[in-house]
Amino acid sequence: MSDHIPAPAAETAATFGRFDRRRGNQSRKTVTFGDASEVTTSKVWMVFSLGGLMLIWWLVTRGPEPMIAEKTFPGQRAVWDAFTRWLREGYRRGSAWEHTWASLSRVLKGLLIGTVIGIPVGFAMGLSRRLRGIFDPIVELFRPIPPLALLPLFIMWFGIGEQSKVNLLVWASVWVMIIAARAGVLGVGGSKVHAAYSLGANRWQILRYVILPNALPEVFTGVRVALGVSWGTLVAAELLGTEVGLGATIYIASRFFRMDIVVVNILVIGVIGVAMDIVMRVLEARLIPWRGKG
Amino acid sequence: MKDLSVQNVSMVYELPRGGSVQALQDVSFDLEAGRLLTLLGPSGCGKTTLLNIIAGFLAPTGGAVTLGGDPITGPGQERGMVFQQGALFEWQNVAQNVAFGPRMNHRKKSETKDLVDGLLNTVGLTGFGDKAIYELSGGMQQRVALARCLANEPEVILMDEPLGALDALTREKMQGLILKLWKETGKTIILVTHSVEEALFLGDKLFVMAPRPGRIEQAYELPFAEVGLTSDPRKLKASAEFIDKREELLSMIWGMEEQIMGHEGGMS
Repeated sequence: MSDHIPAPAAETAATFGRFDRRRGNQSRKTVTFGDASEVTTSKVWMVFSLGGLMLIWWLVTRGPEPMIAEKTFPGQRAVWDAFTRWLREGYRRGSAWEHTWASLSRVLKGLLIGTVIGIPVGFAMGLSRRLRGIFDPIVELFRPIPPLALLPLFIMWFGIGEQSKVNLLVWASVWVMIIAARAGVLGVGGSKVHAAYSLGANRWQILRYVILPNALPEVFTGVRVALGVSWGTLVAAELLGTEVGLGATIYIASRFFRMDIVVVNILVIGVIGVAMDIVMRVLEARLIPWRGKG
Repeated sequence: MKDLSVQNVSMVYELPRGGSVQALQDVSFDLEAGRLLTLLGPSGCGKTTLLNIIAGFLAPTGGAVTLGGDPITGPGQERGMVFQQGALFEWQNVAQNVAFGPRMNHRKKSETKDLVDGLLNTVGLTGFGDKAIYELSGGMQQRVALARCLANEPEVILMDEPLGALDALTREKMQGLILKLWKETGKTIILVTHSVEEALFLGDKLFVMAPRPGRIEQAYELPFAEVGLTSDPRKLKASAEFIDKREELLSMIWGMEEQIMGHEGGMS
């Protein structure tokens, strides 16, 4: 086949094939635009993309008189130095690990409580007309309210300490979990439930052995989304009443115009967010291998 | 073994915009234990509705169904069900799916294991117990569904187009399996199908149903299922007797389809 391809095209295909085996070498499909199975993440372009960002960053901050003033946006060298110092010495009242763990544990606590509340409520909404009627307006009304808007109220109610921060993160995750659990219950095909009844299952067994496992993929997606949303709410949650935490550090450092510390913590939050999502994907492949194959 | 009795069953669906549809009108028949009844008819003739009423998933608006004299009021394990698309539990492996019924009945694990192995053997899936459902082909999934249904020793097995989603070759093989199971277990089977050939080949009793209102148009007693196991099914399906019946049924159903089309044409 390859001798039908004109020389330059063959050369291009070979060049790209070296990096990306899906194109050129393996796939003989002529229609790839619009074919989702052909659109996988290109590793080459991932490297180009990250490299490009670094290049732009370097260009706008280089030299003695950079395009963006050092004070407003530090260069790569300054950020790297700040990062290594942050790792060694931490920032103000805590070590790097203490800041990170403070934030992580708040988010995980909030997510855990949000999940423990959200799953039964979502299930109830998926199983009962009456309960859906009761919860639907509550969910629809409160879901769009941004957590930051509630911070003053939460501080009034739960104090300036940990309680208000965790509760804010519960707020960030609970609506996602309710909706995911409800979708999981509604996603069970009628024939599965019918089959189980015909096999002698009672209501409780239907719930335990059919509806619950059938909802797991949706619930898991909910946890993944909620984790992302909570992590994104971190800075808001740590705005007041603490000096320990990645979000708190950003807020405090910004008041002292320490943009290098701010950027370091932004990047750490970003990288941890990506790492958590990767962990969740691995867990999903392990725990729910049937997903998408039904 | 229990006989099934359907007495003056009617089903009227109220439409959301007013008006109603008579899905079944005054359907009555008795089915002795151990028969294999096939239900054939154009879409909208109420055959699936009738099956769902017997399964207990739907309550008829009139009439009653009894099994061995006991009225049917809801689903129950003496009436097993096989759906078009397995309705298998994909979070469980093959053996766990088959063991679902006994497990719901709190049967001992050791007993269940032998039962499951035996059933997998019966449906031709020996050694597949550990496989995940999504690793199986459509035909194999239907074999699992059959085994799962048999595990509870139902009196009646209800099949809603069980082979409808399979390719032609697999379908023929599975027809043989259904006949084999029927012979070996002696269970009453009611099978809904769109395929005239399948209805003729599998049914030792066949109802052709008609729509508007849904009813039994013709009942047949058929010889093919009895001989279908011992003789070559391809030869049987090519025999003059089989072809005659097939053409007779086809023209009857075509007639109904045309009536429906004409009716709808007249309305618009």
